[in-house]
Order: sequence, then C-alpha cells, then structure tokens
Amino acid sequence: MNNPFRKDLVSRSQPEACTVVIFGATGDLTHRKLIPALYNLQLEGALPAGVKIVGFARREKTDEQFRSGLEEINRKVSRSGHDDEVWADFAQKIHYHQSEFQDADGYKRLAESLEEIDQERGGKGNRLFYIASAPSFFDDVLESLKDAGLNSCRAGCWSRVIVEKPFGIDLPSAQHLNEVVNKTFQEKDTYRIDHYLGKETAQNIMVLRFANAIFEPLWNNNYIDHIQITCAENLGMEGGRGGYYDKAGALRDMVQNHLLQLLSLVAMEPPTDLTADGVRDEKVKVLRSLRQWDTPELVAENVVRAQYTEGHVDGEKCVGYCQEDRVDPESTTEAYVALRIMIDTWRWSGVPFFVRMGKQLPKKATEISVHFKEPPTVLFNALSGGVPGGNVLVIRIQPDEGISLRMVSKIPGARLRLEPVKMDFHYSTSFGKGSPEAYERLLLDSMAGDATLFARRDEVEEAWKFIDHIESAWHESSNPPPVADYVAGTWGPKEADDLLAEGGRKWRRL
Amino acid sequence: MQILGKEVAIGSVDRELRLLWEQDKASTNASLMNLAVYSENDGAILRNSDLVQEITREHACRAILIGIDRDDPKASIRAWITAHCHLRHGRKSVCCEQIAFQLTGRATGRLRNTVFAHLNSDLPLVFWWQGELSSIFSERLYSLIERFVFDSSQWSDPAESFKCIERALKNANNFSPMDMEWTRSYAVRLAVAGLYDDPLAKQSLEYTNSIRIKVHPNHKMAGLQLLAWIIQSNGWKPLMDKRQDTEISDRFCFETNEGVEVTAVVETASSAAPIAELEISSPDCTVRVSRGADSRYLHQLLNVGSHRVEQSTPVSGNDPAELFMAQLSRGGKNSLFRMIIPTFLSFLGVNEEEIYGTNIE
Repeated sequence: MNNPFRKDLVSRSQPEACTVVIFGATGDLTHRKLIPALYNLQLEGALPAGVKIVGFARREKTDEQFRSGLEEINRKVSRSGHDDEVWADFAQKIHYHQSEFQDADGYKRLAESLEEIDQERGGKGNRLFYIASAPSFFDDVLESLKDAGLNSCRAGCWSRVIVEKPFGIDLPSAQHLNEVVNKTFQEKDTYRIDHYLGKETAQNIMVLRFANAIFEPLWNNNYIDHIQITCAENLGMEGGRGGYYDKAGALRDMVQNHLLQLLSLVAMEPPTDLTADGVRDEKVKVLRSLRQWDTPELVAENVVRAQYTEGHVDGEKCVGYCQEDRVDPESTTEAYVALRIMIDTWRWSGVPFFVRMGKQLPKKATEISVHFKEPPTVLFNALSGGVPGGNVLVIRIQPDEGISLRMVSKIPGARLRLEPVKMDFHYSTSFGKGSPEAYERLLLDSMAGDATLFARRDEVEEAWKFIDHIESAWHESSNPPPVADYVAGTWGPKEADDLLAEGGRKWRRL
Repeated sequence: MQILGKEVAIGSVDRELRLLWEQDKASTNASLMNLAVYSENDGAILRNSDLVQEITREHACRAILIGIDRDDPKASIRAWITAHCHLRHGRKSVCCEQIAFQLTGRATGRLRNTVFAHLNSDLPLVFWWQGELSSIFSERLYSLIERFVFDSSQWSDPAESFKCIERALKNANNFSPMDMEWTRSYAVRLAVAGLYDDPLAKQSLEYTNSIRIKVHPNHKMAGLQLLAWIIQSNGWKPLMDKRQDTEISDRFCFETNEGVEVTAVVETASSAAPIAELEISSPDCTVRVSRGADSRYLHQLLNVGSHRVEQSTPVSGNDPAELFMAQLSRGGKNSLFRMIIPTFLSFLGVNEEEIYGTNIE
C-alpha cells in the first residue's frame, strides 16, 4: 500500500522505512560519507520516519561511543552544517553492534537485535545491508547473513544489499562475488554502488542527450570525430593509500567502474523508459560492444600505462610513484592510464573514445568532451590561420560542474578572422544552491527500490571482461607493453599524446 | 531611491544595462528567469530590492521591480537599473541585473507595454504579486506569466481572489499559480508524509476519526489548504451538511473509504506560529506535527501502539524571501496545489459556477 501523502509531494520514488545495517561501521566511508548523508536526509525531512541505523564492526564500542565518534566527524564534514537538536534525534536512531565479520554468533545476535527493532517499530522488517567493509570480508559478510537468515524477509517486506566498490579485482573474482551475492540476495535486491552515478552532472548526461532535440541527431559517427573522458587527480598516495593502490592500479580503481559507467551513459542508445532495467539494458549493450584489446600487441597499440616521477604539483615537491609510502619500489602498477576504446555499433563505428586517468596531474578534474568533426573548409581555408578547430561539447563532472560548447566566431573587424568562443553553463553560477552529495541520492534510491543508478551484474562483468585482457597483457604476457613515465605535475606521458596524434588529435587542455 | 541604482530614461534602459556590464568585466551575468515583483503598496519597491538581493543568491534572474501608485494625480514612469552580485562558492562573482519601474497615475495603464518590453527573451516569467489582487490582474497580464506567486494570507476576501486565480487557470495555458500559504505548509506536509511512511501509521490512516489544525489567524488559508491536501490525498468524501463555523474555528466532517466519520477542526490562535499544529488521530495512532511560535524546529511525533517516534527538523521562518526561494527551488507546475484547489475552494464556500460570474474591480 502506497503512502497517499507522498503522491506528487516530491518527484521521486518513495523511500520506505527500514533498518540500515552498515558493515565496516568504524571506517572512513561510514564516518565521512554514509552517516553525513543520512543526517542530511534527516535534516531535509527526506529520511522516512522509523529508519534505524545499526553499525556493525569489530571494535568494542558502546552505542554512545559510536554516536559521539560519528558526531565529531559529522560536525566537520556535513554539507549542511551540524545542528545539535537534529543530531540529538538522529543519534537515537543509531546503534552499534560489535562482532567479527566471520562470527556466526555475532550475526545471530544481530538478527535478534533487528527483530527487537522491528517489534519496536511495529513489526515491519525492511532491511538494507550496506557492505562498507574491506573487500576481503565481502564473502564472509554475505555468507554469514545468509546463514543467519537475514537475507530473507517477511511477506510484504524487503531485504536489500548495497555493495561498495571494488566489485572484484578481475572477471573471475567479480563472477565469484556475484555468485555469492546472488546466492544470498536476488539480483533485484542487489545494489552495486558507483558514487559517480549519483553525481548531478552524471545524471544530467541523459537529460542533456535526450531532453534536448539539438544533440541527439548529431550524436553519432556522422558528426562526432572522437570523444575524450578524463579523470585527473592532483594527489598521489597520501594517507597510506599506496598499499591499496599498488595492488589495484588506475585501470581497476577508476576505469573499470567510474569511467566505463560514464562512457556507457554517453554512448548508449535511448532507453525505452527510465526504469532501472530500461536504462541498464542500454548501458550493458555498450559494454558488450567494446572492441576487446585481447593480445599484447593490441594493448600496446591502444593502451598506455605510466607512473609519475618526482616533480611538483601545486608548487609542492612530490616523490615519484615508486618512492611513495607503501608502494613496492619495483612496482609496475600504473598510476596513469590512457586508452583508445572502440565501440563496435552502428552509431559509433569508427569513432574512438579516448579515456585517461592519472595521479599527480596538474589539477583535479573529471570531464567528458565530445569533439565534433570539422566542417568542410572550402569557404574559410584560404584565410590566414584557417578555421580554428571544431566544435567541442564539454560535460564537466567535477569540480565546477557544468556544460560548455566551443564554437567558431568571426572576430569583429573589417577582416574575416575566425576564433573559437565558448558558451559556458556552470551549475554554481546558475543554481546558487549546492547539489546533494551522491550518497544521499543513492541511499534514498536504495530505500525506494530504484536501482537505476546502480550497476547490474552483467554490467560489472562485461566491464571486467574488457579490463582483464589489458591486465593480462601487462602482467601475464612474455612481452608486456612498457610502463611509461611522466613528471609529476605534467599532463601525462608523451606516449599518451601519441595515442591521439594519429589523425591530428590532441588531448583537450583542461 | 538610491538603493534602486542609477535612474535612467525609459527609452534607454537596455543601453544603460549594457554599459553597466561593460564597466565590470570580472563579473558573470547570470539569468535563468525573468522575475517581476509587483506591489501597489507605498515604499514596497525599496523593500523588494532587498528581497531580490536575497533571492539572487540562489536564483539567477533578471529582476523587474514594479511599484504602482494609482492615486497619484501625476502620470509618470521612472526607471532605475542596478545589479545584485554575489560571490559563488567563494570564487566567482555572479551578478543579476535589476530594473525598477515606478508607475503613477494614469501611467499605470502602460504597465504591460513598459515592463514586458524588458524581459529576457526565451526565459520564463515568474510574477510575484504582493498584496490584494486588483483590476490589473487581467487576462492581458496573466496570459504572459508562467508562474504567478501570491500570498493569500494578505487577502481580505480570499474567496473572491481565488475565483480570479481559478479563472486565470482555466483561461491561460501556461499559467501556474503558487500560493505562499501553500509553501508555508510544505515542511508540515513533508513531515506528515514521512510519519505515514511508517507501516502501522499507514494502516491506521483509513480509521482516522479526528483532524485538528491550529494556525495563526493570518494563516487560516494555510490551514484550510492543509486540510484539503489531507482529504484529497486520501480520497475522503465531505459530509457538507455537518459543517459548523465559529469565529475561532471551522469544523468539517468527512467519511474515509472505510466509512469512518472524520471530524476536522481548523482553529486559530493569535499567539500561535503561522502553522502551529496538525494532529491526525485514529483509535490506535496519533500523528502530530507542531511548531512553537518562535521555534525554528518542527517537532514530529508518531504514537502507534507501543511504538513511538519523535524527531525535530529545522524549518525556515516566515520571511518572504525564504518562502519565495523555497517555492522556486521546487520548480515544476505545482500540480499538487492545483489538485487541491477544488476541495480548498469548497471549504471557502466557492463553487465552480460562481467562478465565471465574478469580476474584481
């Protein structure tokens, strides 16, 4: 039965009251993202009454100690500030449950606690399990949930699981994890979170493409020369991140999930509707159509990996990748990767997608740029300077979210001289109010049973299939493509520039 | 009048605006809509310039302030231009231009031509009408408006004014009315919806037998709209013959889909917050949303069986700029408000036949 008061009140699916159980509750993700997101939802009145939060972790803590630790961080990071009165009510929803991840008894006690909460709340038993623990515990948590019977629910209720990235480290591990997840929860109740999809600009890609009649007719190989997707970071391995990163690398850490998700949103066909499967069916078709770079030679031709060497970023001196804390000095893990991706569909035949991601680049920015073909130069090619480049549509994901379009214009004057000009839309200029955090939207969606912005099993596996060929060429072939280098604070290695040089293309200067 | 900026000749408003921007190359001119703020009250144009300064922090627009003085014997039109600038996210100075027009005497008849010659093309027109509706609110005006914002708490005869709004709705395709009284009740509606997300509360809804709404005497429209929303959302039937009105309360009766008779009372108290309390009760469940007169929190209580939820959420005050911004932020066609209008009008004793036979002078 729907809540009649929700009708037309806010234009989104209705979140339902539930108990959110967070595994890995003493970690950074819980403190810095999940709890502030839930708090801000409460602050805005968007969190259904009766939501309870149970933190599950190994350390000994009381409810009060857990709450006060969360409060301390929330004061610092909450996007809407911290209100003591609201927090006092919110904190009463939070409980702590101490247990090892493998301890069957701990899950039994959890089931009893959840039962008590349900009783107190009037018998409804919706449960949302958020696995924010280290990936090595995913199996344990999922299997223990099943053994404790927490994966099932009463009639009319639901039991869902949110799984944080990394979703596997390769195709076999992802398939294994998917099997474990799907033995425990049905696919419809599985929410693989990719916080990039919760970002306002990522959501706007579909609106831009399908709500504006001027773009879609041009969105194909007749008019588009190539597309670039860039994720630049101006940080290295600070905060002990080197240990994780050196095992993962840029390709697994960012490209397999975030950047291929963005690529599929840019390249997909219009979905038949906006249901979760309507959208995800189209996205997975893109991933299935990726041309596989399945030999070391093809990988060498189409993918560049690199590490940064000592240099300066933002005026600060920084060490090379292999000198970073917790990084193997002999490491061949890539801190930078650039790929040429071809999508073998009618729409994208012959249009390369260039994707790059790197650490210790000059600035932090994520964007998609659509480079249109140049017009016939028959009219203006005789002019000194010629025609200054084609049209470029840029979708900025972060920071400074917005959209810009580069066009060519005549410089005022008696002579006919052409220069590029930019039409620029900034979210921050046009909309003074800040966007909600991606996790707020995604948590509400999972409470409402809307999986549109979450990755489906086949999407994840198709993405790994593509990535695994490259990883295999790098780490398992007898003749692996080399690891290039670039000075920290520059825009990546020369080899990445060469990837585009054919056809006179260049990476967009951010 | 200094606050309104530079006084310019009516014929050179556009040229002067261009010069204004040329002087300051560091700023970005942003606009997502035309915002006209109209008032017939003395001195309102100056206060409205302050309101626009606030509004442009979040909503980039071209603002057009309109001050009308019909009683002035002299017919005149004066214009001023200025820009409201804000630093966005500590970085960029974003500015919105403002044109103020003061029309007096017989020149007020030239409102439409004068003002609407200065709209930003292609952008929607949001028209904020302050105070009582007057004869200037005619089809010639409202046919140009996308969103019409008004505050029915300022109306001396709401029934008559709402008839005009309803007529505009029927006559103009894109006209979307937005009542600040409805905006005032948003936080209460959101809280009620949140409390009824609780499954037990939801189950008890059809067994509701009492609704009590307490409002400040100036905000009775908000109370009646809130009641209309409850009734309309649930599809309950009015039992009109059981209605009783007194000076301090209006009593209505309804029947739920389960055949339970609901007594609803909208009462006023001069010491209360604009919307002080809403309580929906059934034998097993009480949902109460309340706010103290000076409190900035909305207290929410759900009592169902042995289960009790209590929480507070911060709410904005009764400041017109805040209310206006809240209304703009939600965007859309305000379909929910349109849906409750017929029920709400029936509470005011207005029926559909009356609407087309009334004119305001």
